[in-house]
Amino acid sequence: MSLHRIVALFRRVTLEIVRDRPSLALLFIAPLVMSGLITFIIREGDTPTIDAVLVNQAGLPGTLVAAQLGMAIEGEGGSFEILDDEAVARSAVERGDASIAVVLPAGLGTHATAQLTLITGGLDPLGEATQVGKLQRTIMAGAAAASGGSLPTIRHLTVYGASSDDPIARFAPAIVGFFAYFFVYLLTGVSFLRERTGGTLERLMATPVARGEIVIGYSLGFGLMATFQMIVLLTWVLVSVRIPALGPLPEFAVGLGVASAGSAVYAFLVVLLLALGAVSLGILVSTFARTELQVIQSIPLILVPQFLLSGVLFPTSSLPEILQPLVVIMPVRYAVDGLRQVFVAGADLGSAALLANLLILGVFAAVFATLASLIIRREVA
Amino acid sequence: MNSQAPAPAIRAVDLVKAFGTVRAVDGISFELAAGRIYGLLGPNGSGKTTLIRLLTGLARATSGQAEVLGVRMPSREVLARIGYMTQSDGIYPTLRVIDNARFFAATYGVRDKGAVMEALATVQLADRAKATAMDLSGGQRRRLSLACALVHKPAVLFLDEPTVGVDPLLRVQFWQHFRALADAGTTIVVSSHVMDEADRCDELLFVRSGSVIARGSSLELRQGAGTENLEEAFLHFAGDVEVTR
Repeated sequence: MSLHRIVALFRRVTLEIVRDRPSLALLFIAPLVMSGLITFIIREGDTPTIDAVLVNQAGLPGTLVAAQLGMAIEGEGGSFEILDDEAVARSAVERGDASIAVVLPAGLGTHATAQLTLITGGLDPLGEATQVGKLQRTIMAGAAAASGGSLPTIRHLTVYGASSDDPIARFAPAIVGFFAYFFVYLLTGVSFLRERTGGTLERLMATPVARGEIVIGYSLGFGLMATFQMIVLLTWVLVSVRIPALGPLPEFAVGLGVASAGSAVYAFLVVLLLALGAVSLGILVSTFARTELQVIQSIPLILVPQFLLSGVLFPTSSLPEILQPLVVIMPVRYAVDGLRQVFVAGADLGSAALLANLLILGVFAAVFATLASLIIRREVA
Repeated sequence: MNSQAPAPAIRAVDLVKAFGTVRAVDGISFELAAGRIYGLLGPNGSGKTTLIRLLTGLARATSGQAEVLGVRMPSREVLARIGYMTQSDGIYPTLRVIDNARFFAATYGVRDKGAVMEALATVQLADRAKATAMDLSGGQRRRLSLACALVHKPAVLFLDEPTVGVDPLLRVQFWQHFRALADAGTTIVVSSHVMDEADRCDELLFVRSGSVIARGSSLELRQGAGTENLEEAFLHFAGDVEVTR
């Protein structure tokens, strides 16, 4: 072993990094930006505004709880309304007029077994859980005051499907959307970079092929790959096949078996549109990269913000106000929302919410494709 | 007697390409006739590749104009009649030889499988048609690159340093192909910094610092410089060396 050679290698590696300015910047800046963003989201994250409706079946004790709850909610800028009927309250949540419905049962404050019901939509599990948690504290305090100490139990229902105990059910739509985006973006970015560095793009541009044809050809090719990827991924997520015990092998299940209220076809449609946008974005970003390493290094700048600001990890409704304009321009956010509409609410093409998400994803794909087409010629020339 | 001269295959009029303050192509004008082999000779960085990129429409001129087959460049209209072999191989390494040739044929609108095999046969790669491009030797990859530029039988062929990294035997074969193509009417522009290839061209353009400093046949240029050696002739026209008779 030669110290001289090791020093030479050390020097070469260091020089290589130092001379690669984008890598150097990302090495130091990206961790600061990412950790700063996460800290900001956690520290400054807002509890979403609560728009509550309340059905009081408990009489006088319920009136006291309702008054306390109303003051608390309206004091924080939310809205509060008392309705007569649980079905009407449920409809208000379903329509989106209210974010949560509270049903105070008969016997509240007198019967130890009284069960209070909270109803949310079920499409934004993390955001709704935050609201439920916050209301629980106020309700319990009010109920304790009204009853002299006898506390009711609380059950949480969702409009779309039963509130699942399976923790993955809350994350499955986000996981499907994000990973589809991640891999298609990475694959396209690296492939297109190779097209440039290998000289084939220069050669292509000297043929009658139009820039738009290149982007469409890429989109079709990677769209096909994304199709197969999604068939495999959606099957894996939605299906669970039990393999019976065989000899020394115990019984086990293959597939995640996440329950979906809607058809996988619509989920596929959402992800396909997302993937088409990822192809064009991959092309767009790769034109600014010189090496494959730089494409990979774009992940903290392009993909991590999508992960943080699209409802994958944190509910978008609880993100700080200052970040909300960024939330609006995150394509993954619309995919996650669309997939939740399908998985949780069982949405089909008759659903305005799903159609809106599909339309926005289509617009993102078209905008990225146009930008990629425009930038290819400039890049080659 | 028809006194009208045939239209040039390629024309440059006061062509300029500037990158910031650097003028990579600095006011070049010429006309190149059809069916001849022209050599762009000059050291690395003299502007040969930029000139070819202007002529193929890959770069837009800062000023002046370039015409190929009577069409002002850049124009997609004429690209189907132009072949371009880049300095790098410009092939897809994970695809098979035939798939590379088929793909570039398709980009030029050629659907005839026979034309693809003919191009591969021209560069003696027909027997390796099903090999993966990355498994080819360096010389074979250059041959495949040439086949991809020939597959649509272009009227004008631009070859940017086509023989770099090519062994002497293959280099001879390449020039035989180029001559056969020129005899069949193809106009060929070859850039090179290898002076010993110059004698194979019908006419040479010495390029230095973005300008054409001399033009003529190899013999004319050597006679003009008063030397038997083309490198010395280049230096003579470049004004770097006083050549003694």
